Amino acid sequence: MSHVFSYDFRYDDNECETETSVLQAEVEDSIGDIYLNFVEPGSLAQGGGAIDDSRHKLLRAKHEQFIHDAINGLSSNFAVLDASQPWFSFWCLNSLDMLGCDISQQLRERVVDKLSRLQSPSGGFCGGSGQLPHLAGSYAAVMAIVLVGGDAAYKTIDRQGMYSWLMSMKRPDGAFTMHADGEVDVRGVYCAMVVASLLNIMTPELIKGTAEFIARCQTCEGGIGPYPGVEAHGGYTLCGLAALDILGKTDALRLDRLARWMSARQLAFEGGFNGRTNKLVDGCYSYWMGGAFPILQKALKRSRTEGYIYDRAALQRYLLACCQDRRAGGLRDKPGKSPDLYHTMYCLIGLSLSQHYVGVEPSEQVTDITSVYSVPVRMMQWGAMPASLLVLGLRSNVVKPVHPVYSVPYTPLASFVKYFYALPPLADRLL
Amino acid sequence: MVRIVDSELDQEDLPSPLPMSEQEEWSDVVPIPQDDGRHPVCPIAYKDDYREMTDYFRAIMAAGEVSQRAFDLAGRVIDANAAHYTAWVYRKKLLLDLGLDISSELDWVSRISERHIKNYQLWHHRGALLELLLDPKGIADKTQDERMQIPAIRRELQFVGEVIDKDSKNFHAWSHRQFVVRLYGIWDQEMAYVETQINQDVRNNSAWNQRYFVLTANQPADVFVLTDDVADKEIAYVMDKIKLAPNNESPWSYIVGLLMRHAPNMLYERLLPSINALAAADEYALAVSSTPFFWSALVDIYEEQAKALAGAEQQQAEVMAFASEACESLATKYDPIRAKYWEYRKQTLKTASAC
Repeated sequence: MSHVFSYDFRYDDNECETETSVLQAEVEDSIGDIYLNFVEPGSLAQGGGAIDDSRHKLLRAKHEQFIHDAINGLSSNFAVLDASQPWFSFWCLNSLDMLGCDISQQLRERVVDKLSRLQSPSGGFCGGSGQLPHLAGSYAAVMAIVLVGGDAAYKTIDRQGMYSWLMSMKRPDGAFTMHADGEVDVRGVYCAMVVASLLNIMTPELIKGTAEFIARCQTCEGGIGPYPGVEAHGGYTLCGLAALDILGKTDALRLDRLARWMSARQLAFEGGFNGRTNKLVDGCYSYWMGGAFPILQKALKRSRTEGYIYDRAALQRYLLACCQDRRAGGLRDKPGKSPDLYHTMYCLIGLSLSQHYVGVEPSEQVTDITSVYSVPVRMMQWGAMPASLLVLGLRSNVVKPVHPVYSVPYTPLASFVKYFYALPPLADRLL
Repeated sequence: MVRIVDSELDQEDLPSPLPMSEQEEWSDVVPIPQDDGRHPVCPIAYKDDYREMTDYFRAIMAAGEVSQRAFDLAGRVIDANAAHYTAWVYRKKLLLDLGLDISSELDWVSRISERHIKNYQLWHHRGALLELLLDPKGIADKTQDERMQIPAIRRELQFVGEVIDKDSKNFHAWSHRQFVVRLYGIWDQEMAYVETQINQDVRNNSAWNQRYFVLTANQPADVFVLTDDVADKEIAYVMDKIKLAPNNESPWSYIVGLLMRHAPNMLYERLLPSINALAAADEYALAVSSTPFFWSALVDIYEEQAKALAGAEQQQAEVMAFASEACESLATKYDPIRAKYWEYRKQTLKTASAC
């Protein structure tokens, strides 16, 4: 496989410099230098050359070591994440699982022990001990428990408590506050919908008005913002679209406008995605934007043979050539930035979802959304279709397929869903 | 013992104080350490002062203490880790329970904000304080000009403005600006601000988004009516900005998005002639015809026009052919990274015309 690398694809500022174009040019300079290293000797001409894509290598061992170092201890700089502690477990376990690394029983037990200490007696998980329960923390904790797997881990979740607490975060406009007296945005909606659908507590009361709230966050550009009126943003777009998929209501959006805006986020020279119009590339949008394409594909009722409507190879090239820290291990936002657990996980999910075609064929989509019993069926309908695998570089670069809505590998997700959908309805639902 | 009311002074202007465990003021409190278990995952090597202040803070919260020292301690925790949402909630509760001055609290947030400018909680706290400081119901009978004379409103807009001056696309700052404009109904002045920002960086999409927010006064699509007059003004404004740098996604995205949502007929009746004229003008022809945003706009416009031509088959087919050609040029020449997307658009054009 080879790809023509050309400076013609750099951003044309029409010789009108502004802060945006200056920053963009700086990033392109650093990325161009990296891509030049991959240009086949002899093919280099003025303005570009042919990139030898067979050389791209995922540095598995380095990334695994980076994650294990973090599991063993983080420096004092991480005190700024002292209120986001469940995320550490999610980031580490998910990255290890996608890489196919062994996750020891002892590590699994340590994660469950840590998370159970963060569960609030009133339901939900807290960012740190003695703190209030938080939607993002609850989301991350539940996802980490999905990855740990096993009945003993599942049983640590107070399902009734979670439901009562989620209901107390619900607002009349259909959205959720992140915590008591906290901010309101589409992140909270996504976290609530993921947690509720996984734990089999998605009642009509819980989801009332939620799809409508998300639809109101779609801007005239086509993407989704955090709150009605606010600029469209990659992170909130994935959150809104994924939440609507869980609700079976992606039709609440103007999908043609969404598709236009999403595809416009992939950058011509860099190959990666930005998160807003006229912003810089960032590896984490490989998931927030790249990962939204499988969900869009399903919403548009496109089949596997038609393929995704973005450039999968270009995204993988950006991730493998520009986002790996070759010395320290771990993945990062862009060249010149330090790797971290957040970017490591989201770059790897982006890599996975660009390698594997994951979807639901239009003819097989369950359209019945009126019954809550359709929820687990719709959740687990997604499948990786090996015929459309696309792996840039070494064959060994392939990572495990993940679910685009739940962003974790299939096997642990399927076990979790099976367990919780075998449970009886919540006690207060019988009243 | 010196009583330090202002935690900011405590942090910046005084030598580092004794550990809390050695301060008489805290001798009545038994700190609660973090409940971490024997072998926690990803343990943070907290600095001693952070560990100690959060241990005391846990004890204060567990006791539900309502006091000035608890309020100050929450502030110190926040300044050390602004993402500590529980400390913000507790600080606000104490602010109200102790009946402290809201305006001073806003000053405190302003002072610490430079270090924590991309933090969610800081902006949420500011918004809540503002609502406490100045009830919008109390100024309902005032004109917008009169509202703009109210010190609290002026101060808030100035504060957000200063943040945006330093970080022109700060997502939280722009969201907060919307919150303030909406809360106090001060729409009239905001368009001038938007234009200042667009003049500073014509590619600042946050400013373009704010333009839409102000123009529509944030009314839903089925309520806001875009008159021909206003649409014409917006088209003229956008064309001026496109002339500065045609390869700039923001104005194209703005005008096509605005018209498609509120006045789709204006896309082909007014916008199309304007951009065609620009593409034909010697001065701009090359730059306009080589930017994917021009071709992308053409696809959107032609598609909309074709819908309106239902019944006039020959004309419709002609417009569809234009759109299809534009898709092909984009896929192969102007925008190959999005080749898959443009092929999809071309394909859906066919479906639309076949209907």
